[in-house]
This record gives sequence, C-alpha cells and structure tokens, in this order.
Amino acid sequence: MVKKRANIRLFILFVVPAMFIWITVVLIPFIYGLFITLTDWNGLSADFNFIGLKNYLSVFSDGSFIESLKKTFIYSFSSVIFSNILGLAIALALTGKIKGQNLFRMGFFTPNIIGGIILGYIWNFIFAFALTSFGKSIGWEVLEKSFLTDPNKAMLALIIVTTWQMSGYLMVIYIAGLINVPNDIIEASEIDGAGMWNKIRYVKIPMIRNSIAICVFLTITRTFMAFDINLSLTAGGPYKSTEMISYKIYQTAFSNMKFGLGQAQAVVLFVIVAIVSLLQVTVTRKGDDLA
Amino acid sequence: MKKKLLCLLLIVVMLVGITTACGSKEATDGDATQETTDKGTADEETKGKETDSTDSSGETVNITFYSTQVGMDDKFEAIIDRFEEENPDIKVEYIAAGDNQLQKWMSLYASNEGPTVSLMDPINIWENKDRMLILDPEENPWMDNVFESAYASYIYDGHIYGIPISTQGYGLLYNQRVLDEAVGGKFDPDTIKCRDDLKELFDKIEASGVGATMITGVNWSIGMHYLALTYAGYRENRDVERQVVEESRAGTFDLANDQVFNDLMDTFDMLAEYNYNKADPLVGNIDIDAEAIATGKVGTWFMGDWSWVQLKEVANRDDEFGLIPIPVNNDPNDDRNHRIPASEPKGYCIDISQNTVEQQEAGKKFIEFICFNEYAQQIISDTMGATLPYKDVTVQSDSPLAAATSSYVNQGRTIDISNFILLPSDFWYENGASMEQYLAGAIDRDTLASQIGNYWKNQ
Repeated sequence: MVKKRANIRLFILFVVPAMFIWITVVLIPFIYGLFITLTDWNGLSADFNFIGLKNYLSVFSDGSFIESLKKTFIYSFSSVIFSNILGLAIALALTGKIKGQNLFRMGFFTPNIIGGIILGYIWNFIFAFALTSFGKSIGWEVLEKSFLTDPNKAMLALIIVTTWQMSGYLMVIYIAGLINVPNDIIEASEIDGAGMWNKIRYVKIPMIRNSIAICVFLTITRTFMAFDINLSLTAGGPYKSTEMISYKIYQTAFSNMKFGLGQAQAVVLFVIVAIVSLLQVTVTRKGDDLA
Repeated sequence: MKKKLLCLLLIVVMLVGITTACGSKEATDGDATQETTDKGTADEETKGKETDSTDSSGETVNITFYSTQVGMDDKFEAIIDRFEEENPDIKVEYIAAGDNQLQKWMSLYASNEGPTVSLMDPINIWENKDRMLILDPEENPWMDNVFESAYASYIYDGHIYGIPISTQGYGLLYNQRVLDEAVGGKFDPDTIKCRDDLKELFDKIEASGVGATMITGVNWSIGMHYLALTYAGYRENRDVERQVVEESRAGTFDLANDQVFNDLMDTFDMLAEYNYNKADPLVGNIDIDAEAIATGKVGTWFMGDWSWVQLKEVANRDDEFGLIPIPVNNDPNDDRNHRIPASEPKGYCIDISQNTVEQQEAGKKFIEFICFNEYAQQIISDTMGATLPYKDVTVQSDSPLAAATSSYVNQGRTIDISNFILLPSDFWYENGASMEQYLAGAIDRDTLASQIGNYWKNQ
C-alpha cells in the first residue's frame, strides 16, 4: 500500500509536468490545427466559417498539390539514394587506413552544421553566378546558363545540395556502425580469401543494416519535410517547378492566406511522415530481432 | 533524501514557472479589455497587451510599428527616436517584417500582439479591414494634407483605412546618356508615342552597341506590375475593371481574346525579343540589372522608381535617368501610351482589434509625425527615392526617378492602378509563375491565358 502510494507520488512528480508540457505544446496545438482544417479561416480575420471536409477535398482535387507531392517524391527518392551512397562510401573510406581521418570527418560533416537557409543562399550564388561565369570563361555551354532557371536542372541543384549537406551527417552514423563491426569477423573473411569488395558486400553491409535503416528513414523524413533549402535555393522556382510539399504548404497558408487549406495540406504531410516513421520503427525492430 | 528534496524543489520551481506564465496572460487579457472604438467595425473586443495598457493619467503609452518596407529599418528607427524625443509619453517599438511580410503579421496577431501601426500593401489592409481603424478626415485635420487622389487604394465602402507613404510610378526606366548616344542628340521620352516608336528606339540602341531593354524575370515584376495591368488601369473606367474581375472569378471572362490583354502581351513580346537577359531570362537579380543599366550596358529597363535604391549605389553622380510610358498599341493618339502606371503601394493603418483606444490615438500621432515631420520626410524621401503624396512637401529627393514620377503626376499623366486591390493577394505569385514560363518560352499565349483562367476558377 505504502509502495503504491509512493509510486503514485513519483508518477505525479515526474510524469505530470512532462505530460502538461506535452499536452500544451504538442497535443492542444495539434487538435487546434485539426480544427482549423475544418474552417475557411484566412489566418488573420476575426471571422471564419465551418466548411466541413471541403479543405481536404480541395487538397486532393488540387492538381498543384498532387504535382508538389510528385516532385517531393522525386526529390526525396533521389536524395535518399545519393546521400546514403555517398555517406556510406565516405564512411568506408574513413574507417580504412587513410591518414588524417579526423580532419576528413570534420570536413565532410561541416556542411551539416551550416543552416539550411545560409547553405541555400551560398549555393544560389554558386549556381547563378560562379558556375555561369566559369562556364562562360571556358566556353562550356552546359554551365553558361544558371541551373536555377531551368526546371529540371533546378531540381537537380536541390538534390546536389541536399546530398552534399546530408552525406556528412549520415557518414557519422555509418562510421559508428562500421567501427562496431567485430574485427575477428573481418579477419576471418580475409582468411577465407575475401577481397575488399566482398568484405564490404558480405561482411560490413550486413553487419550495419541497422545503421542503414536509420539513415534511410532519417533521410526520407528529412527530405519529405525539406523547407529551408527549397526556400533559399530556388524559392519554388523557376515557375513553381521546384515547389515541394512543405514550401507549398507555407505558400498556401502565408502568401495565399488560405490558412485552413494550408493546414489540411500539412495534415496530409503529417500522415505521410508518420507512416514512414512507423515503418522505420518496424524495420529497425525486425533488424534487432534478426541480429 | 537530499536528492529527493532537490528533485522536488526543481519540480516545484518548474510548475510555479508554468502556472505563473499562464496565469499572468489570463490576468492581462481580463484586466486590459478596453472599450471598443465606435468607428471600427470589428466584432472582437478590443484588448490591450500586457505592458501596453495605459490610462488617461499621462502614463507612457507603448505602441508597436510593423514595417514591410525593405531596407528602411535603421531609418525608421531614427524617425522613431526623434518622435519619442518630441512625444515623451509615447514609446514606439519597431518590428521589421522578414522575408514574408504576411507571415510575421499573422504570427503577431495570432499571439495577440497585433501591431498598433502597420505599414502594409493596400490589399492586406482591405482584406483585413475589420481589424482596422477608419480614419476620419473631420476628426483628423492633418489628413487633408494628403492628396485626395492618393487615398484611392485605401478607401473601402467610402471610408479611409490607410495613409499612403509614397507615390511610386513605373514603366521603362532609361539611362539618358545611352539613349542620347543612340538617337544622336537629346532623347525626349515624349517622342515615344506608340509601340512602333519604341521598336525604332530599341533598334537604334542596339545599333549603338548596347542592349535595348531589360526585363527582370521575377514574379512580382512581370506577374504583378505587368500582368495585373490587364485588370487595372488600361480599361475605360474602374467599374469596367471591376466587372472584368468579377467575370474572371465566375469563369466567364474570355482572356485569350481580350483586347487589353493582347495589347499588353504584344508589347511584352517585343520587350522579350529585345531583352538583354534573353539568354537566361529568369536569373532575375535586381542588383545586377541595376548595375547593367547604370553602367550603360543596356538602355532601358522595365522597372519602377523604387529601384533608385539599387541604382544610386552604382550610378555616377551626373548620370540622368527617367521613365518612358509603356505603349500598348500603335495609335499615337491613345492616351494610355503617354501615361505611366502610378499608385501608393504601401500605407499606414491602425489596428483596433488588439490595441486600446489610447494606443490607437498614439498611433495616429505617430502616423502624423512620420508623414508630415520634415525630418521624417527627408529620411523617407532620400532612402526610398520616392515621391511623397502630400501637399506642402518642402524636402527634395535626390532621385531623378522620383522626379520623373512627380513630373508625370503633376501633368496628370498617370494611370490609376488602384484597382489592383481587387486582385487576390496571391495573384502575383501564382500568375507570376505563368508569366515566367511565358517569358522563358515554355508556354504560348493561349496556354498563358488558360492558366490564368484556371487560377481565377480556383478562387
């Protein structure tokens, strides 16, 4: 009885404050957000009307939203593939016998600590002016025009910058996984005659599948919610060809002043990201069980 | 035991912190509920903000000023310092808008911190007029000092909701030296009476070895300043324009066969053909384009007098610049070919939904000061390079472009584009993208018209 009372007291002391914060900062705004999706509120007006599920219908009947979703899938898929391949490649190289490993690790990680907005502006300058000037000076036609004024190249530019930024971060996770691969297994594979490629293919990669799962799902969720680079590098342009889902939501809510619709779009994004996160949890658990 | 006590203490501190924070807000909201002003139409009760509430006993009134004018932050702060010196009972907190002027404004209102005075676009004031104070010239005699025509974008339902900060005009900005060399004498903008005259001028400029004209391929320039002329300024009168907007919303307006739209787009095609940025038309950098015209690489530029802010950084002191109207057809007698579009693109408004009556009164004093005080006028005139829409202005702007706009205004040669307020606030963003596609050659005119039509259908 006394123990039970002590447990309740401990629960009140430790869980209630955290619950209180979670409810006020996460739950109530979330429910309020859901409520807004049922209105035609413009984000500023004192009045609004209930319009039921009309905003959700508009989300799926709006061709531009579906278009943004498609672009986000392309961007996300490409960025996940490239940044993970690059991150893993760097990690493999830097867990080998290269001199000055720490310096390289720091160098590759640095892009990740520069904020997305600043990074976007730096690369904006590089694509719009530095590369074009270079292209003109050497007479290379591909570089003479800015990447950011062509719809396909602008998407490519976004993928390049994202890959450059994220691969350093993924490298750290992969390195953590790789240095935990037991040496005896690697030595055993060497005795069995495995070459460098076979060691990577049959020993290292299977041993770091948890790191791979974490990195892949991390990049999926991050790229799905990418906003800062989209804003500062292309601002959705040229002519809205790189307007991805988060940026689209921002524009709908704050430029078009359709707050209810923007919020409904955000709920759809939330569902997608939640599904991806749940998948991640399932896959990593499965990985643990297999291990 | 000690550990337990420490934990307990920390938890108590945290809980007290949380409850105090929430409690003080409730108390403030409750205490500061003020009498609503009888002039406003807001349904909400007027509420004061925590530290802003005051009484009539002469205590300091705290107000906030939200500005969306880019590049003016330190200048506005200097004006505020002078205002506070002269009005020690009023304290003004300056809030600068970020990249997205609406986002911050909305955030401020959402947190019950709606600015007392906001400097906004007419469309934003109009769309939120329920929150704004109706400014009555009979109660505020200083309002007579504003040209009556300058209120056009700020009058809704017969009431004035905003005081304009400047009059700004746009058209084809030109470098006098480049054009003098091209025409072999002193260039006179009045010689451009129709589209063919402009084409002839472009040919002469190109023959002199420099670029004829330049379009900055950004959505706000070609999507708003150019395309929006289809709906405001170039038709018989404002009622016809209103009708066009209503029909567009209803989806019954035939834009593809509309004379005004096609006239404007014919001229746009010509500008695009002679565009200095033709090779990569969407780079859209106003600083680089300003440098190109200031250094004589190009003769004319579709832009407005506000670009003096960029131009003066690179222009030589004795360089002269001016504005040419945009001809929309080949009729030299068509009045529209001799006028420039001009408007009052930003104005001050006062919030009644989240500010007390005392704060609103202080806000009025502040607007009166910032509009008519000589020190404030000099700063605004110099920094923005703009024409002030007020009578008895004694200060002189150093901007030749402001002088050009003033000259057109004084001759009555402006096009009234105040019906821009009929266009939704995302008009420039959504249709600017279509105009960029058109400029880049990705779509033809019919597709452009159909995309604009689809935009209206979704409104």
